[in-house]
Amino acid sequence: MPSFRTVRLLPLLALVACGGSRDTAPTVAANAPGGTVVISTPGEPDNLLPPITVSQAGQQVEALLFEHLAEIGVGLNTMGDAGFMPSLATSWDWASDSLSIAFHLDPAARWHDGKPVRAADVAFSFVLYTDPKTASPTATLLTNIDSVAVRDSLTAVVWFKARKPEQFFDIADQMFVLPQHLLGTVDRAQLASSPFATRPVGSGPFRFVRWAQKQALELAADTTGGRRRAQLDRVVYSVAPDPVTAFTRVAAGEADLFEAVRPNNVADVVASAQLRLTVLPSLDYTYLGFNLVDAATNKPHPIFGDRTVRRALTMATDRRGIVTNIYDTLAVQARGPFTMKLSSADSTLVPLPYAPDSAAALLDAAGWLRGADSLRHKGGRTLAFGILVPSTSVARMRAAVLLQEQFRKIGADVKVESTDFGTFGSRMASRTFETIVNQWSPDPGPSSVVDVWTSAAANKGGNNMGSYRNPAFDAQVDSGLAAFAPADMRRHFATAWRIIADDAPAIWLAEPRRVMAIQKRIVTTGMRPDAWWAGIAQWRIPVDQRIARDAPAGVTR
Amino acid sequence: MRALIQRLWHGLVVVAIVVTATFVLVRLAPGDPFVGALDNARLTPELRAHWRAVYGLDGSIGTQYLHWIASLLRGDLGFSTSTNQPVAHAIAQALPYTVWLMGIALLLSFAFGMSLGAVQAARHDRLSDRSIGAITLVGAALPDFWLSLVVLLAGARWLRLFPVGGASDPLLPSAASALTVVADRLHHLALPVLTLIVLIAAPVARQQRVALLDKLGAEWVRTATAKGVAPFAVFRRHAWRTALGPVVTLGGLTLPALVGGAVFVERVFAWPGMGLLVATAISSRDYHLVVGCVLVGAMMVIIGSTAADLLSQRLDPRAAQRDDDGQRVPL
Repeated sequence: MPSFRTVRLLPLLALVACGGSRDTAPTVAANAPGGTVVISTPGEPDNLLPPITVSQAGQQVEALLFEHLAEIGVGLNTMGDAGFMPSLATSWDWASDSLSIAFHLDPAARWHDGKPVRAADVAFSFVLYTDPKTASPTATLLTNIDSVAVRDSLTAVVWFKARKPEQFFDIADQMFVLPQHLLGTVDRAQLASSPFATRPVGSGPFRFVRWAQKQALELAADTTGGRRRAQLDRVVYSVAPDPVTAFTRVAAGEADLFEAVRPNNVADVVASAQLRLTVLPSLDYTYLGFNLVDAATNKPHPIFGDRTVRRALTMATDRRGIVTNIYDTLAVQARGPFTMKLSSADSTLVPLPYAPDSAAALLDAAGWLRGADSLRHKGGRTLAFGILVPSTSVARMRAAVLLQEQFRKIGADVKVESTDFGTFGSRMASRTFETIVNQWSPDPGPSSVVDVWTSAAANKGGNNMGSYRNPAFDAQVDSGLAAFAPADMRRHFATAWRIIADDAPAIWLAEPRRVMAIQKRIVTTGMRPDAWWAGIAQWRIPVDQRIARDAPAGVTR
Repeated sequence: MRALIQRLWHGLVVVAIVVTATFVLVRLAPGDPFVGALDNARLTPELRAHWRAVYGLDGSIGTQYLHWIASLLRGDLGFSTSTNQPVAHAIAQALPYTVWLMGIALLLSFAFGMSLGAVQAARHDRLSDRSIGAITLVGAALPDFWLSLVVLLAGARWLRLFPVGGASDPLLPSAASALTVVADRLHHLALPVLTLIVLIAAPVARQQRVALLDKLGAEWVRTATAKGVAPFAVFRRHAWRTALGPVVTLGGLTLPALVGGAVFVERVFAWPGMGLLVATAISSRDYHLVVGCVLVGAMMVIIGSTAADLLSQRLDPRAAQRDDDGQRVPL
């Protein structure tokens, strides 16, 4: 079985940690703004209009072009306004009943075309995001906001329908402020095909320069306003659809950053004199999900409808071994439908143990007995099922194969059904699978669990594809989301996680870390688990470390 | 002329059948343009349904087909959901890159392959013939994806002589001189063209060798030799020219690649041409773009095969079609 354990990553990562920081009292000259960061990426934005952007590549670029009212801190707190940093709004005032917040905009803020950013733009943005014609995926996150009023040209007052712990996060960090004078007359049903979607004008630290589709996208530091400029001159996204090519660009020195280094390339990065390996926690988790409903009969699934069988299969799985085999030290074992960086995480939760003998006993007790063919049978039915997995994901394919082998040992006949991503998505959406190796990338807030694991999401059309339902779990989630004290929130979620772990609607596999290759000359800061790119405006390249491509645009290299 | 018109008419019917079949089959495949971003729980089924309606993908296949035909008659190939622009624009953007890449690659591949085949035929059964034969056999057998990666890693990463894919330096100043731009483009073309030469020249050489060996044993070649015509003149005028038929046919069949591109080569070398466009369109279920690309490709097949027939006939008049009375009908 292929493995890259020969690359001993722990000592390497220790070296990485030592070499990653170069904050050694830089001189004024060394801090002079300038330089270019070339980001090698296999993905390309679907568009650059925040309300309708779906791709992560698009969201990355938009975070540099546009501004939120306030930015979530590196601690990813989403309750109240603790940890939030001023962005377009320099300050804010809560009403005494907490049903409104007045945001005071930075008077120096300008759109990249020179027009001032005004409170009317905030009000317009809210209307744009929530207009059904816009069909924004973000609109569902703004449902608690009643309206946005303009008190004066620099003060926008946001009115809420109800007082909720995440109300500040909802308005401050989920919605980018957009220019009314450029988008006000655009047909909201045709936003995707509007010129703005490919040539945006924002107010963020970088302005749009050019986008050659399937080639490159260039941003330049905005130096026209009176606000603090970005430390870099340029950020260029260099597109290479093949991940091998995208990584090779960084390895060959043509690019400065690649955000998804594969395990087999880690040793290359560590051995490189120019590159450093940066490993960040992420909010992603992978799991094997059981379909609790039989797609053919729409009744409880004959195998996975039984909680005992699900628990047995979970206990028959060496999850730690699988994670180590696939990721080595670049992931940790997931404990539930959350990652440790979420404020609702429970680090004390003990997952069901890996205990093959106990698992076998549970299956025996559930009536699934071994036959002469070494497989288990019950009532004429064999313990046989398929694992649906996208063939494009190397990690998930390997997980499926390892799971197949472990299930075989306990007497299950398992087939790996690898499909292209379109088919995978279609079968997932139509719930025509038995088990599925899937990955979610939730928002930082604890409420993200609602869309995927609660009973409401199990209804037709929801994202709870395995149709897991437990009113006790729902109640704890609801209570946790309604709690204003962080300790109360965590207590309710701890109970919810215990319930869902015991119910085993899925086998939680891994929390993969984000493994990045970055040129050593770049001093990074402000990388968040949900958005490594959040601090790019503060990244810098010391003057004495600059190379030819760091020369200002237009200067012959 | 009548036969040519008839042939083009038949070609149009073939194009219509191919495009209609593609239109239906791509919609019958699982998934749709809005099934992506599966790790994003914000994308509710309602939103996906909304977008299907916006892009006219919520009706039956028959209804969609009628709408598409009506648009096509107005010169509109539809809207590409993966590139966020009209299909015609997306194709117009990608086409020049593929014509650049495939044009140079085909030209060099055929010149190189035909030369190799000629050398092999002239030195039949000698060491050079056998050596070149072995090399071309390997070249013809190499998987394009693997070869592309090896060439990329060798030329761009290990030797660092060429850029790692792409069509141009993303940091090239917009005010760069035309000479700099052309030099940069050629620099980026080198590795994908080299890869394509290995892949295309090998079968060309083998075809050329077999055809030449066949003609070198023909009676008219022996007669010319017996009449004292110089060996090179016999080879060039009497054997090589008549042996061009199979290579021209191969060229005609390869011609669609001029606009269809080479999917794997373009993907590995990040070359923004038609091959990459088609691959992206298929994987993202961009229905209109897939059909648009197939339409352009099918038309090129018809044009390519017709051009190859015309050229074959010019090189060898015996290749002309015959009518019902057995009379020769020039195209």
